[in-house]
Amino acid sequence: MFPHAAPARAGVVLGAMLMGLAGCAPPQLAELRDASSAALPARVELDRVPFFPQEEFQCGPAALATALVHAGVATTPEALAPQVYLPGREGSLQAEMLAAARRHGRLAYRLAPRLEDVLLEVADGAPVIVLQNLALGFAPLWHYAVVVGYDQPREEIILRSGTTRRAVMTLATFERTWARGGHWAMLALGPERLPATANEDRYVAAVVALERVAPAAARRAYTTALERWPGNLSARIGQGNAAYLLRDLQGAEAAYRQATRLHPQAADAWNNLAQTLLELRQLDEALAAAQRAVIIGGPRLSQYQSTHRAIAEAH
Amino acid sequence: MNAFNRSVARALVVCTLGWGLPPQSFAGIVSTAEVHASVMRDQVKGFLARAEVRAELEALGVEPGAASARVDALTEDEVAQLTGRLDQLPAGSSDVLTVALIVFLVLLFTDIMGYTKIFPFTRPAQK
Repeated sequence: MFPHAAPARAGVVLGAMLMGLAGCAPPQLAELRDASSAALPARVELDRVPFFPQEEFQCGPAALATALVHAGVATTPEALAPQVYLPGREGSLQAEMLAAARRHGRLAYRLAPRLEDVLLEVADGAPVIVLQNLALGFAPLWHYAVVVGYDQPREEIILRSGTTRRAVMTLATFERTWARGGHWAMLALGPERLPATANEDRYVAAVVALERVAPAAARRAYTTALERWPGNLSARIGQGNAAYLLRDLQGAEAAYRQATRLHPQAADAWNNLAQTLLELRQLDEALAAAQRAVIIGGPRLSQYQSTHRAIAEAH
Repeated sequence: MNAFNRSVARALVVCTLGWGLPPQSFAGIVSTAEVHASVMRDQVKGFLARAEVRAELEALGVEPGAASARVDALTEDEVAQLTGRLDQLPAGSSDVLTVALIVFLVLLFTDIMGYTKIFPFTRPAQK
């Protein structure tokens, strides 16, 4: 983004406002007015969310630091810049915002594209990082800010934004700028916390992504997932895999055994149990588990067969 | 991305092939990513895509060591999403002055429209 282009862009923005605000409320706000959800308190403000006034172009690191520090990570925008800032673009990409939160052992959860969900998360105590396009589709002005409160009767939203600690915006204007940013919103949560609007598949996918870089945090988050959705096979095997990555083979064995009890047709669980038992030198049981995996088969049959071979050779 | 950057990126892909394998390459264990997606992952394709994203990050000014760690933190899907598009995807970046100016203009305008009442000198256009 070029600073000297600001006045021209601002003119465009004003034009957009004129066109936008002259009409009626944007769709999700209209829905919110009609539904007046019982789960949603009238007004909330998370006063204790920190504020990092952004340096030039650094709204990504500033927004991320705001959410991460609130989630208990000791960091600053300066420390995060080398992880998310892209000099050639003078900005930060959405995928890297998610990835950087994970590198700090926090679960990066993408919210569903619903205004009400953003407000529900804030009401649950979680600041929400949002991407706004403050200008127009053809001349975008991308900006990350953090939603920390709202006032439903007054139809206002409160953000940590740029150099403003408490930026108040109408919900209508917010929805329009947020919609132009693709309704993108994320949380950075400790692994023991389930989002208020958690969806099983989204949550488990977020934990799988966390496992790549922070297996210990992921192990905790799989437990969080299983407390809510005990029948989730990915989370069950993931709990074993995270333990395995941490070289806690007994812990891995226990998780895989539980997976095979609850999902006897899950060949992956049998295969991973077999591999773990092999490393624990419990060869008889390892061989039996590997046989189960091979009999069930599936797209990864060749991998089960090689596990089986390795155990048979060690036997 | 311009042609020069692209050729630099391509060259870097070739130069950096062979750096670091994905962390989940534990022999014998089916990774959670595979279980969850329940598809066979094309390891070679995924590996090349990672190398390309890393090279693009470097071409856009990220230090080589940092670029490597940044790519490692991405999921397969995120890598696929980024490959070849780092110069087009939204990059939140607005600078301080622009944001301040826009917040001012928005509030001024919402004041005028009667949505807010922040500045003492505005009078709503409609009652």
